[in-house]
Amino acid sequence: MEQLAVDIAAWPVSRAINESSWIFALVQAFHLLSLAVLAGAVLMVDLRLLGKGFSNQPTATVARDARPWLLGSIVAMVLTGIPQFISLAPKEYESTYFRWKMLLLLVVLIYTFTIKRLVAYAPEGRFGGGVSAVVALVSIGLWASIAINGRLIGFFGV
Amino acid sequence: MAEWFAPLRALFEYVAEFPSSIALRESLYVMPWIFVFHVISMCMFAGTILMMDLRLLGIGYMKTPFSQVQRKLFPWQMAAMLFSTATGLALVWGNPLNYVTNIIFWVKMLAMGIAGVNALAFHFITEYTLIDWDAGQTPPLGAKLAGAISIVLWGNVVIAGRLMPYALTWFRE
Repeated sequence: MEQLAVDIAAWPVSRAINESSWIFALVQAFHLLSLAVLAGAVLMVDLRLLGKGFSNQPTATVARDARPWLLGSIVAMVLTGIPQFISLAPKEYESTYFRWKMLLLLVVLIYTFTIKRLVAYAPEGRFGGGVSAVVALVSIGLWASIAINGRLIGFFGV
Repeated sequence: MAEWFAPLRALFEYVAEFPSSIALRESLYVMPWIFVFHVISMCMFAGTILMMDLRLLGIGYMKTPFSQVQRKLFPWQMAAMLFSTATGLALVWGNPLNYVTNIIFWVKMLAMGIAGVNALAFHFITEYTLIDWDAGQTPPLGAKLAGAISIVLWGNVVIAGRLMPYALTWFRE
């Protein structure tokens, strides 16, 4: 794995990103902008599950409205995340924060498209307020911890 | 350096001498965590603003009347704004000299100011006609403009925020 990370960082495209003074910066900037959109789409559904959102609509309606922005921003996050990884692969690979971030990302993606999806798209009233609230808080907690680990890679991890 | 800028620069230099500013600057762990909380509160703020803007543009959350989108998101937007302002001030307080001559920092401040004016203009002008289009599928031009301007300006704020540290190498004095 370590050798793979070194090899990836040696790809011409990785080195080009690393050596450019602005490609990496712009990629980071759009990664952060996508994160804001992602946070918005996630919060619309989670706030609704917490009983604090658009309460005139069923949660399923809010979730369907948020879906294109959720999926679009996840795609944008991955597309802007990959160039950052390949240009710094050995350092990222060694970073505890990066490893946590990837693990939590896997967990939150599975969680979002199974448990949270099941609860959000269920007929109104199928799940009680307590269950919905826990599902929302776990979602917020997971996404926030990914953002926190992501920010910390730059400070302590690399 | 332009003459009108001198007092501003003096102010930032004055803050930099405060013991609290020095302590922040020299702390190993406090500053990174302030950055973390700044990012988290920014996401909550920009996220809830952008989703509201999509509704204004007529391309998101169209089953929910605008007034409800606005009313439900407002407390979160305000709480997140307070939190990101507080953490943002702390970041500048700890490293004033990194910001005072940073052109991207001033671009960000200007964009935030204009975004505030845009929000107030919408509130005091376009929102008076809200009753006509609240639940409608095609918001009027004024509402769409307010949403589009908001997306551009807040997008600019987020991007400028991330690019700020690079200004130190991109633009030398």
